[in-house]
Amino acid sequence: MVQRITNYFTALGKVIKNWFIKLGKNTKSFFVNLPRNTKNFFIGLYQIIKHYLITSQYPVYLSAIVMGLGQVFNKQYIKAALYFLVEVGFILFMVFLGGNYLSGLITLGVNQADPILGIQGDNSIALMLMGLVSVVIIIVFIYLYISNIRDCYRTRNVILNGKKPNTFVQGLKDLLDKNFYKTVLAIPLIGVAVFSVVPIIFMILIAFTNYSSSLEPPTDLIDWAGFESFQTIFGAGNISDTFFKILGWNILWAILTTVINYFIGLGLALLLNSKKLKGKVFFRAFPILAYAIPGFITMLAFKFMFSNGGPINYYLKLFGADTIDFLGIDSTWTARFIGLFVNAWVSTPSIMLLATGILSNLNTDLYEAASIDGASKFRQFYKITLPFVVFSTTPVIISQFISNFNNFGVFYFLRGSIYSSGYFVASDTDLLINWLYRLSIDQQNYNIGGAISILVFIITSIISLLVYVRSPAYRKEDTYR
Amino acid sequence: MIKNKSSKPKRYLTTILVYIITVIVCFIFFFPCLWIILAAFSGTGSIYNFNGFFPPNFSLKTFEQLFTGVTDVSGDTVMYPYMTWFLNTLIIACATAVIGTLLLISTAYVISRFEFKARRKLMKGALVLGMFPAFMGMTAVFIMCTQFQLLNNLWGPILMYSTTAPVGYLVQKGFFDSIPTSIYEAARIDGVSNFKAFYKITLPLSKPILVYTVLTQFTWPWSDFILPKLLLQDKSNYTVAVGLMTLPDTEFSRFCAGSVFIAVPIVLLYFFVSKYMVNGLTAGAVKG
Repeated sequence: MVQRITNYFTALGKVIKNWFIKLGKNTKSFFVNLPRNTKNFFIGLYQIIKHYLITSQYPVYLSAIVMGLGQVFNKQYIKAALYFLVEVGFILFMVFLGGNYLSGLITLGVNQADPILGIQGDNSIALMLMGLVSVVIIIVFIYLYISNIRDCYRTRNVILNGKKPNTFVQGLKDLLDKNFYKTVLAIPLIGVAVFSVVPIIFMILIAFTNYSSSLEPPTDLIDWAGFESFQTIFGAGNISDTFFKILGWNILWAILTTVINYFIGLGLALLLNSKKLKGKVFFRAFPILAYAIPGFITMLAFKFMFSNGGPINYYLKLFGADTIDFLGIDSTWTARFIGLFVNAWVSTPSIMLLATGILSNLNTDLYEAASIDGASKFRQFYKITLPFVVFSTTPVIISQFISNFNNFGVFYFLRGSIYSSGYFVASDTDLLINWLYRLSIDQQNYNIGGAISILVFIITSIISLLVYVRSPAYRKEDTYR
Repeated sequence: MIKNKSSKPKRYLTTILVYIITVIVCFIFFFPCLWIILAAFSGTGSIYNFNGFFPPNFSLKTFEQLFTGVTDVSGDTVMYPYMTWFLNTLIIACATAVIGTLLLISTAYVISRFEFKARRKLMKGALVLGMFPAFMGMTAVFIMCTQFQLLNNLWGPILMYSTTAPVGYLVQKGFFDSIPTSIYEAARIDGVSNFKAFYKITLPLSKPILVYTVLTQFTWPWSDFILPKLLLQDKSNYTVAVGLMTLPDTEFSRFCAGSVFIAVPIVLLYFFVSKYMVNGLTAGAVKG
């Protein structure tokens, strides 16, 4: 019995001892092997991740989190660094400047300047402009961000297919070959964005503010005013009256000038192409002369010619007639006709040159066939020449219409200093574009000016789209390509 | 036979008519030019001293005044610094001709020759952009410049002209469209890069359109008045156009002399390259 108990306890002791020894050994080995095991664990983990990262699309997700991280796993270190720098730069910009600018674009400034107390207030215009620039920067960043993910994805696919991805140098070479268009378009796109798109958007935004002659930033704050300027234009009042009067004349002017110039130009081309005319080169020199002279010289010269002390009035006086105030304040229609004439003088030569070029492409067989069939000259012109020329020049007619609609020069030079009664800072020959100039540059009513700009855009774009889409040249655009 | 008899005098009549109309038309185009040239050599400055279209006496005095700028009717020297205006115009026009042509030609080439995703969008964008009154952007640029005191810098107009030039790429694109693609395909088989193809194949073939583009890019700032009027407000920064606009009736012959001096080089240029002009104009028009 005792023996049994002793044996039992001895065995128990042994077991416990062994257990402790084992524990000690294990503990020891655990701690001894810990570094190695840890290392192995992480190596294993690393290998698993690496396996996935190298042989899968996971780096694409990494690129989506931090720009350039995915490229590191593609072993494109320079590209990775560049993308990373872009992201860092963007975050720094947004934190230190962009945030303020963006909120400034929304509030247009909150701190009123006070010159007496010497408080430097917010400059609403600067905030608006810089806000717009920030938006552009954000758009560029988003583009780069997406291109970063896309680049990673493409490179992954190349690697997964067992091919070598492009090196950085190869990428640079591609910019002159496969991606040549990107290289070329970068500068024009940025230039147009900064000097054309941003100003246009800026002006559109101005139309929805209260920026008029009574406010002078940076001293005064400008605020959003919604559709107030449009209400001023379309509501009852002096400005509204002026707008509709000018609009009516402007549409009439655009149609008249386009038709007159087009047919005179075409007529000139036919005349100077006529088989009966000898010395074409000599005669053609005169319209080319008119074409080459800078427009402002011509228009100023005509202003001098029709001025009160000018030669035409001199002869009128010489023959005992009264002098005519051709461009004066009461001579609405005289001035308008002079405007039409001056504009025709300036613009028909270019249309003549154009029509000459097109007529030389015309197939003369058609005329012979028509003559044999007994078609009259007029009928030949009407059925063959005109459709051909009109078809070929539809885009030109549209651009002529738009440039005539927005013809600033003629009446700026002829009657730039005249303000007619019944008009709000405009003369009765002014086109919308002239009025726009007077309103914004002379009178600093920028918000109304901006609103009129928008309206001019809407009118010209609707008209030209309608004509353009219906034109045969547009329908057959693909046959030209 | 009867038909022939009656049509012979009729044919002479139309020939005479053609000549009469042609002469009248040429006279209408030539007369104002002649008037300006005569007035430029006028002995007196003011338009009120003229005998109708003709100056009372002739001399080279006005041109002397223009270039030396020493004396004036009132003895004022700095009133109309024409040579300064002329140099400003020359700088702006030359810089625009170089930068604008570069941007415009390359843009048109790429749009014509490359198929890429954004191509259609860009073309539509340019179309829409062209419909905004050019004036709108200018007013905005004017406001910005006044706010940031950036007026009176020649770089303002240069940048505005040359960076907005690519929007009018259609004429040049029309020309590049007409170059057969087979040339490029052959080059590609030979392993020529697109950049090399551009300046080894396209540029030598594009002489007419290059001349046309340089010329239009040069003459536009040379004869424009709105943008310089807005952005250059100091007399010493005026271009010729802005300067001549400030001349009153009493300085008529100075205006004429200044106009003749700025118009003659451009007119000569046009006559020398009028072949290219017509080609460029029609190339753009037909292709749209």
